[in-house]
Amino acid sequence: MSEWVNGGLQDPAYMAQRIAACEKEIQKGIIGQREIIRQVMLAMLTGGNVLLEGMPGLGKTRLVSTISKVFDLSFKRIQFTPDLMPSDVTGTNIIIKNEQGSAFSFERGPIFANLILADEINRATPKTQSALLEAMQEHTVTVGNDSHALEEPFFVLATQNPIENEGTYPLPEAQLDRFMFKILVRFPGREELKGIVALTEGNQEPVITKQMDRAGLMAARALVSQIPIADAVMDYLLNIVMDTHAGNPYIREGASPRAAQALIRASRAKAFLEGRLNVSFQDVKETAFPVLRHRIILNFDAVSEGISEDEVIEKILEENAKL
Amino acid sequence: MEQSEFLRAIQNCRRRLNLAGFFRKLVSALGIGAVIGILLEAVSFVVPFYYAGTYAVLALFIALLAASAAAYLRRTGMEQTALVMDSFGFDERIVTAYGNLDKEGVLVELQRADAMEQLQTHQDKIQITLLPPWKRTGALVCLLVVLLVLVLVPSEMKDRAEELHNVKEEVEEKAQEIEEIVEALRQMEQQEGLTPEQQALLQEMIESLQFSQSEYQQASSDQMMRAAAEKLDYRYENMGSQLAELAQSLQSGATVSPVTAESMQALAEKMQGEGGSQLVKGKTGQSDNGHNGVGDANGQGGKSDNNGNNGGNGQDGGGGKDGQSGQSGNSGNGEGQSGNNGGSGQDGSQGSGRGTGSGSTPHDYVSIPNDIADSGNLTGNAVDHDASEYFHAQNGLSWEGTHMSHEAVIGSYAQNAYEGIAAGKYPSGMEEIIKEYFSNFN
Repeated sequence: MSEWVNGGLQDPAYMAQRIAACEKEIQKGIIGQREIIRQVMLAMLTGGNVLLEGMPGLGKTRLVSTISKVFDLSFKRIQFTPDLMPSDVTGTNIIIKNEQGSAFSFERGPIFANLILADEINRATPKTQSALLEAMQEHTVTVGNDSHALEEPFFVLATQNPIENEGTYPLPEAQLDRFMFKILVRFPGREELKGIVALTEGNQEPVITKQMDRAGLMAARALVSQIPIADAVMDYLLNIVMDTHAGNPYIREGASPRAAQALIRASRAKAFLEGRLNVSFQDVKETAFPVLRHRIILNFDAVSEGISEDEVIEKILEENAKL
Repeated sequence: MEQSEFLRAIQNCRRRLNLAGFFRKLVSALGIGAVIGILLEAVSFVVPFYYAGTYAVLALFIALLAASAAAYLRRTGMEQTALVMDSFGFDERIVTAYGNLDKEGVLVELQRADAMEQLQTHQDKIQITLLPPWKRTGALVCLLVVLLVLVLVPSEMKDRAEELHNVKEEVEEKAQEIEEIVEALRQMEQQEGLTPEQQALLQEMIESLQFSQSEYQQASSDQMMRAAAEKLDYRYENMGSQLAELAQSLQSGATVSPVTAESMQALAEKMQGEGGSQLVKGKTGQSDNGHNGVGDANGQGGKSDNNGNNGGNGQDGGGGKDGQSGQSGNSGNGEGQSGNNGGSGQDGSQGSGRGTGSGSTPHDYVSIPNDIADSGNLTGNAVDHDASEYFHAQNGLSWEGTHMSHEAVIGSYAQNAYEGIAAGKYPSGMEEIIKEYFSNFN
């Protein structure tokens, strides 16, 4: 039985405290990038998948491996390359010969883990990328006629490089929509870089200890999903999503209903992380960027004027400013 | 904190919010009202606007009502209040708790408890100021002071506006009075038993009174109104005596019902009374009119009774001395009123009137060009009206009045004369003389 059951899985205050401890533990292995850590934690608390976009060497893989240690989750890394096949991700049926004869047996692919790092996802072909779709959305893998459930919790943390577009296959909108967050991993500041160098090039590797197990994470996720939202906050949230559609001069295609769901979940998780049991306007505002930035498609005007997705979202938030 | 306390805390905040909202709206609305008032008052310095002050006060009153109505209609609800309270650092705890007051569940209850605890601990953070920003209030006070100053500062235009207002009120009163008399005359005119001449006389009276009514309605100054009043007074007197005579003749002839005759007599007395009162009311020097009654000499110049108008009016002037006894001049007026064609007859004041009035058309006033009057050569100066000064005269008693072109006056007289010829009102042999006389003006 999980150690957290007796410790108070139903106690939101206790759980929030434990989650905060997890966050702190992750920060031991990752210098700076607090906002990135926070957003990944939000995704973990809501069961969402994360697309990390950033230059190579910014600690994306290290972040994922640290998280797996802190939450005691099984972790698999899949390096996406142009010749990667779907069966290389999902697994395949192989013929097993034994005393009784030959029979097909499903050999599980690397996707069968709690935490998947899909490194440089945009380097794989769309066919292979789409192999992730079912796993990300349904948490199942279908090979032949058989569907195989993935073990909960299941997260996909995919990375992609914003440069070196040659030989890449940009993710289609349908697949992008399945990522709860798109997190931009920015280059660290000088002090942070100094810390990173000291940490990685030093003699002492930081010891990352487990802070919460799977059951604890699932319990926290259950609590988060019950956090109440006031009508006014919900209206605000929906207005933001709606404003990505008609009338916006810079958006060609607005956010899907899945964006609204993701925004609600992310806002709840953020409130929980901050020790609150209600969602505030600020929660919605802060989570709007990672939730919406990959779900809106800018039109020619925005592109020609050099306006980014974040600037459009900022504008929408300003127009819906509260109090 | 209990749930009831929690609700009470929101309710208290709501009251303060609504009160603050009312004050804020009141200041804004009064500011707008004051600006409107200032504009109205400013306008009253440029054009006559009697009701500027009243409308300014009305604008402020409407602003007060509008602010009250807006504050009531847009009053803050409990949920809105909770949101405002949350803005003081409660991170939407209060509005969430308020929205889930009737819901059950572990997390909902925990959230409610958290919100109540936070509210109890940090209630002092909620600061809702009742009074609007001092800048706004100061601006309003300044506007009100400016408005007050503008209301109190006297100006010529304001005096003029007051005068016009008084004129308008009096005009309305007089128009109503005339309307009543006209109506009474119409009823009399429709009585059976009246001869066509008597009916025509009544019709002329009606027309004359209607003319007076239009004069009143056109009056745009105290002076014009006084002029109209004097003319009406004169008409009243003439009509009064005419009606009295008519009533007497009807009573003796018994061709109409006694009731009509009596009412005619009563109306005559009333009109004569009105004439007297008009004289009393009139501000022009009545005694002067009396002194000017020198035209009786001209009356003698008349060839018939009808032409003796100036003489009658001379007596009328005498009657004007005491105002009350306006009727005393009636005996003279009885005939004097008939000197309608006495455009030249008025010259009687100079002793040169020809006295060719028809005796039936009630043209009591004439415009006399000075040049013509002085020259004694009416024909020669008739078209040279541009160089003339016009004034109204009542049988030698003159006062300023409506300016009319000389052609219009002559044209009017000529028309009356020709109508008189057509109706056979003049002695035989006079028609050609009259025609020749007026043709000289063409």
